[in-house]
Amino acid sequence: MLETYLPLFLLFVVALVIGGAMFTLGHFVGRKPLGPEQAMPYECGNDTRGGRDVKLTVKFYLTAILFVVFDIEVVFIYPWATLFKSLGWVGFATMSAFIVALGVALVYVWRKGALEWES
Amino acid sequence: MDTSLMSSPGVMMLFGLSPILALGLGGLLLMLAEAFGRPVVAHALEAQAIGAQPAGPEGQIVDAGAGRAAELALGAAVILFAGAIFSVALWLVGPENVTATERVAPYLLIDRFSVFFSFVVCLGGGIAALLAGGYLPEHRIERGEFFPLLVFCTLGAQALAAAGDLLSLFVALETMSLGVYCLVGLRRTSVRASEAALKYFLLGSFAAALMLFGAALLYGATGRTDLAGIGEAIAGLSGDGLEGRAAQILIALALLIVGLAFKVGAVPFHMWTPDAYEGAPTPTTGFMAVAVKTAAVAVLLRVLLVVFADERLGSWGTGWPPVLATIAVLSMFIANFIAGRQESVKRMLAYSSIAHAGYVFIGVVATSRSVDAQASVLFYLLTYTVSTLGAFGALILAGRYRAEAVSYEDLAGFGRRHPAAALAFSFFLISLAGVPPTAGFFGKLYVFKAAIQGELYWLVVLGLINSVIGAYYYLKVLVFMYMREPKPGAPFATPMRSGYVATALVIAACFVLGLGILPDTALEAAVAAVLGG
Repeated sequence: MLETYLPLFLLFVVALVIGGAMFTLGHFVGRKPLGPEQAMPYECGNDTRGGRDVKLTVKFYLTAILFVVFDIEVVFIYPWATLFKSLGWVGFATMSAFIVALGVALVYVWRKGALEWES
Repeated sequence: MDTSLMSSPGVMMLFGLSPILALGLGGLLLMLAEAFGRPVVAHALEAQAIGAQPAGPEGQIVDAGAGRAAELALGAAVILFAGAIFSVALWLVGPENVTATERVAPYLLIDRFSVFFSFVVCLGGGIAALLAGGYLPEHRIERGEFFPLLVFCTLGAQALAAAGDLLSLFVALETMSLGVYCLVGLRRTSVRASEAALKYFLLGSFAAALMLFGAALLYGATGRTDLAGIGEAIAGLSGDGLEGRAAQILIALALLIVGLAFKVGAVPFHMWTPDAYEGAPTPTTGFMAVAVKTAAVAVLLRVLLVVFADERLGSWGTGWPPVLATIAVLSMFIANFIAGRQESVKRMLAYSSIAHAGYVFIGVVATSRSVDAQASVLFYLLTYTVSTLGAFGALILAGRYRAEAVSYEDLAGFGRRHPAAALAFSFFLISLAGVPPTAGFFGKLYVFKAAIQGELYWLVVLGLINSVIGAYYYLKVLVFMYMREPKPGAPFATPMRSGYVATALVIAACFVLGLGILPDTALEAAVAAVLGG
């Protein structure tokens, strides 16, 4: 029991030592921030402009949620494909029904204008 | 049954699943019908005449379902009533004769229990669709999504009552709940509706997570996911195996009860109910009070009587009956006391539905003593479905746009000004109060009878006391409608005109009166539908 977990324990110790050492060394060896210039938020070398609480347009949310929905549904097809032969026609019919339902959902989304970026 | 068509297993399988398939396919078609139609809005029509994009008052593009609530409601009602008719057909043939559906078991169990509930939720959904067909256009809620969502929610409720596996149980629960969250928040610009939807969504997800945790513990303790298998595994535990797993199983039981009691809206898991019910459009409120609650009680019965059927868990010393009895008593007393103090009629009906959950739970508790008690719960849910939808329908009928019936004061003098609408309202409230010859009376009678047979006299006494308290606030509406006059200058409710709402009320009234005068047929059906009967 103990021997099985010994490597895991060692891994913890090594991770803690390395992580802790880096922080500690950085604290003592590294140079402190020099001025307000360095303390400013870094944005690809450009000056920061605009407020912090910028609202992203709701389109991103819609696109993201549609992506997640269809992505998750497509994931179901992978296990089915690996077992395609052994599932036979029943499996084929089941997945066809699933894909038809998915297609209806896609047509719905399209007709409702959720795929239009400019609107 | 000996024709070649009906003996083919494929056809029998389709027949066995027909109530569920009707809603699934119908819902998809309705979704397409909603998306492909042309919006019917006065502004949109003008815009089309000059060949421009249909645009709303604020220049936004009008949703394809806008202004078409009437036709979509008809479609949804046809689909849902078709589901109810398929359920009846399946009942008459007998689900036990349709052996082909065993291929989907244990994920969906097509037995008399699930077919009975399929009928009840489809009936409730159909009436709610008709109510929405009148309510949404009247109150300028131009959202066509309501109807496909309603169909899919009902589908989830059906599947929930039929679920025989932890996985299908959770999927069905979420199918039902996700749609209802949207239905609550349908009025997007209203702060109150958004609050209601958000509150319901957050608390609902939390309850679902608790249930999922309970399900995971059950799987961990028994290694099975099908409800019957878990039940057997628990019954088979003894000695060391029991020692190690008893705590796990008890925690799972508690978590599942909490999750389902939340969906039922029983005290102390009712906090979301008044706000969600009040903020939601009234047809949604009716649907939530009826179909969601019914399906949750159905699955609660199945979980308690199949998974936790073991005599150690079903006993009064170490099991669930005292817990549910406490929930029942709390639900009745707290809900009835708060309901009596409400100013808003809709909020009063929300609390009344919590109190009714308490009465239902009396029956559920009694199932620990006798199998017959299940029948009383099933019958009660049927009577409750038609009475409650009738009451919400009458409330919808009583209110025109900007002249809605919100408070009791709005209804003052209603009986003199609009006798027919007031009569309909009184009728359903009397049924909710449990006065003969309405359905509500027999519903309560059988639940209390079952509790007496189970020798739970104290529970019956508390139930009777609460029926009297409940009568107070139901009759208060009648007092305002018939014995008060509106104060000078005060707003008063004017009834709307809608064939849909009238039809829905007629259907509900036929059931309320039919079940009140001839309860035998429905009661026999309920007796035949019990689990393990």
